[in-house]
Amino acid sequence: MKDEVESRDDRVANLKGLGSARKRVEDVRFTQGKGNYVDDIKLPGMLHGDFVRSPYAHARVKSINIDAAMALDGVVAVLTAKDLEPLSLHWMPTLAGDKQMVLADGKVLFQGQEVAFVVARDRYVAADAVELVEVDYEELPVLTDPFEAMKSDTVLREDLEDGADGAHGPRRHHNHIFLWEEGDKAATEEVIDSAEVVVEEMVYYHRTHPCPLETCGAVASMDKVNGKLTLYGTFQAPHVVRTVASLLSGIEEHNIRVVSPDIGGGFGNKVGVYPGYVCSIVASIVTGLPVKWVEDRMENLMATAFARDYWMQGKISATKEGKITGLHCHVTADHGAFDACADPTKYPAGFFHICTGSYDIPVAYVGVDGVYTNKAPGGVAYRCSFRVTEAAYFIERMIEVLAMELNMDAAELRRINFIRKEQFPYQSALGWEYDSGDYHTAWDKALTSVGYDDLRREQAERVEAFKRGETRKLMGIGLSFFTEIVGAGPVKNCDILGMGMFDSCEIRIHPTGSAIARLGTISQGQGHATTFAQILATETGIPADSITIEEGDTDTAPYGLGTYGSRSTPVAGAATALAGRKIRAKAQMIAAYLLEVHDDDVEFDVDRFVLKGAPERFKTMKEIAYAAYNQAIPGIEPGLEAVSYYDPPNMTYPFGAYVCVMDVDVDTGTTDIRQFYALDDCGTRINPMVIEGQVHGGLTEALAIAMGQEIAYDDLGNCKTGTLMDFFIPTAWETPNYVTDHTETPSPHHPIGAKGVGESPNVGGVPAFSNAVHDAFRAFGLRQAHMPHDHWRIWQIANDLGLHD
Amino acid sequence: MELSDEITINAPMEDVYAALNDPEILRQCIPGCEELVQTSDTQLEAKVVLKVGPVKARFSGEVALDKSGAPTRFSLTGQGNGGAAGHAKGGADVTLETLGDQTVLRYDAKAQIGGKLAQLGNRLIQGTAKKLAAKFFANFAKVMQQQAA
Repeated sequence: MKDEVESRDDRVANLKGLGSARKRVEDVRFTQGKGNYVDDIKLPGMLHGDFVRSPYAHARVKSINIDAAMALDGVVAVLTAKDLEPLSLHWMPTLAGDKQMVLADGKVLFQGQEVAFVVARDRYVAADAVELVEVDYEELPVLTDPFEAMKSDTVLREDLEDGADGAHGPRRHHNHIFLWEEGDKAATEEVIDSAEVVVEEMVYYHRTHPCPLETCGAVASMDKVNGKLTLYGTFQAPHVVRTVASLLSGIEEHNIRVVSPDIGGGFGNKVGVYPGYVCSIVASIVTGLPVKWVEDRMENLMATAFARDYWMQGKISATKEGKITGLHCHVTADHGAFDACADPTKYPAGFFHICTGSYDIPVAYVGVDGVYTNKAPGGVAYRCSFRVTEAAYFIERMIEVLAMELNMDAAELRRINFIRKEQFPYQSALGWEYDSGDYHTAWDKALTSVGYDDLRREQAERVEAFKRGETRKLMGIGLSFFTEIVGAGPVKNCDILGMGMFDSCEIRIHPTGSAIARLGTISQGQGHATTFAQILATETGIPADSITIEEGDTDTAPYGLGTYGSRSTPVAGAATALAGRKIRAKAQMIAAYLLEVHDDDVEFDVDRFVLKGAPERFKTMKEIAYAAYNQAIPGIEPGLEAVSYYDPPNMTYPFGAYVCVMDVDVDTGTTDIRQFYALDDCGTRINPMVIEGQVHGGLTEALAIAMGQEIAYDDLGNCKTGTLMDFFIPTAWETPNYVTDHTETPSPHHPIGAKGVGESPNVGGVPAFSNAVHDAFRAFGLRQAHMPHDHWRIWQIANDLGLHD
Repeated sequence: MELSDEITINAPMEDVYAALNDPEILRQCIPGCEELVQTSDTQLEAKVVLKVGPVKARFSGEVALDKSGAPTRFSLTGQGNGGAAGHAKGGADVTLETLGDQTVLRYDAKAQIGGKLAQLGNRLIQGTAKKLAAKFFANFAKVMQQQAA
């Protein structure tokens, strides 16, 4: 037999298990154009929906006339709030405990808000009919600034009872949503008031958008014969959608099947529930035919969930030697017209209180005020775990500003404040327990790799040359050290709409020794079919190539909370490992029976169970699987299957050290990224090639956000960045070369020690790019300049500093 | 958005002022104007086809004239709605000054644009507005020239 001539190393290699740079199995279909996305789904008799959207940011809707639209040949129905009201579907609950209009009920609160839903036989007819719907608006005063909104007499949300509490406690103004606080305010203020050195700065993380290349969409199909609703859609959490759809519609959950087919990027944009989904379902129920709704690019940027928009007022105190003593932060959070943030229920500002970062800060306080404005709702975690990017950007800017104040090297300031290796598990001042880390090792490796001291020397020479008039280019060294908090999360403190944030895996081993595993998560490009099979391969001894991974169909997959916040590997990955161990435990009993020895006398070895002390006597997993189905074994039921639901005991805390070296042209504001070094520690590394791909993608999104991408409004609430002409998506032209590196500090509580990595590069990347821009101007006194650092804004920085004189 | 410019017209001030209040002359001069109907001494209704970048729409709107400063000052305000394409409102202050047998016309205009027009045409609006205003006054000067001839 082949097995007998194979070495142990060969057998390990054949598995393509943990640590293998296995090629992504998904790419076979994606690179051949054979993916199956929502818009590829075409059902017999399918109708098409399209929205009439508000051109105003704030207006009363006086009347809606649908006669001309209905008269157009091919138009089947036009739904307005009046039609949805009898079903109680004209409003819907948001993930954040607020409610949101499905279709305009009396007024509109942001530009692009859904006013009416046209259903037609053809997508083009639907678009034509949208133009024929006559809506009479009466303009109302527009509030686009959260600070103004908190002072204004204009009431945005007339549906909310004045003075009544919101979902997160008292509201102190009619445009206020919540105040959420963490930490010891009095103690923090006392420390800061008596500190040797204090710096204060307003750090703004601008509004942007996840902008997945595939926009949001759904196909709803109500089968009136058997009473079953099938809903295909771009859902990052299909099971949650099924439960919410059941609760909203009254259709029993077993009669709803939600399917997430291939998804062309999510980045948080596809976590929430949108009016398009609800209207497609209602339209399908009304017409008895399948209804498809797919938004266009402008609709995606203008109306579905935005990210960030945090005004972070910070104070940080330190000794003269640079030891940080306290951190105070007050955030004014612009949530738009409805509070539709996607955060675990108990955390209206997500995990923002990870903002003490990688530093041992003895006392800290955070307060976050959520505010309504006339902007689109959302506030999702754009390639990050619930407001962790905002937190990381805040602390990494505050560190740089403090370094300036102390006249210290920013790398050294970080080093003397890092949480030390022996302090883990580390209890942060704001309530988190960091699982593991070795920051000093990672930092030293990063600085050595980039030749940090030489870079600083070169930078100082450049400044002198600039002052002598020999060059017009400055050089910035952007440092960033971040700690993430991912893998939400423990059911004891993490839920969404009451649903605990566990995850799941169900495995069936087939008689011939191959397998299928189904999970409660859903890949949007992360490569789950590749990496989860690798976890299982190592755990069960079945080669990854013989394991099918299936996700996204709620009729077949076990219940799970979906994929966002880098939770798939920490939570579903753990469930996968534990389900694999259940398989192995049963396989051990079968192997012992076949070898006619006691269970304890055999041990697992790569792809087989061997007799202890006599490895020439063994049973392979293939043989065991066959026996499991086909041999009567006393006391053991037939079959080889396992299910695991995993409730994580804690989050995981990946970390990393990034360095960006950039030349900045003072006269044109253009930048040239010469070098970008990214060291990531995500614990146990499942597939180094997939990790590298995730880091490259995340860094490129970080580049976009830091250097140009934004959702901007004018004073009238017009969204000025609704097309890809105005909203920056980097191409190969703008994207620099990245050097990736790693250290490996396993999570002590995760079954395989993995921590999650997909979002780290966005969290750490944004401060690295932004700090490089700031650092280029540090010698000329720049303390804080708001992102995005596009050419115009960089030119403006130089101009404000008098460098054009 | 704010626009201002001045133009010299080969006609006496009284004639220029009268022409600015003549719906038929205005209809000829406003780029894309299909209809301009006077509904009262100071009220007009207009239908104008406007193209900004990729958006082309028929705007219908109302214009109100303020003649209290005659014959040297004249102002107008208006608003228009282009349905799904968006909406606009604005106004202009016009002053006239005699220069020999010519008239110098100065205008300060303000406009607010909303909806799809503002989103898609964002980078084009200022340029388009300038072009339209220039075209209007070029047409106006031409018509005055023809009248004088």
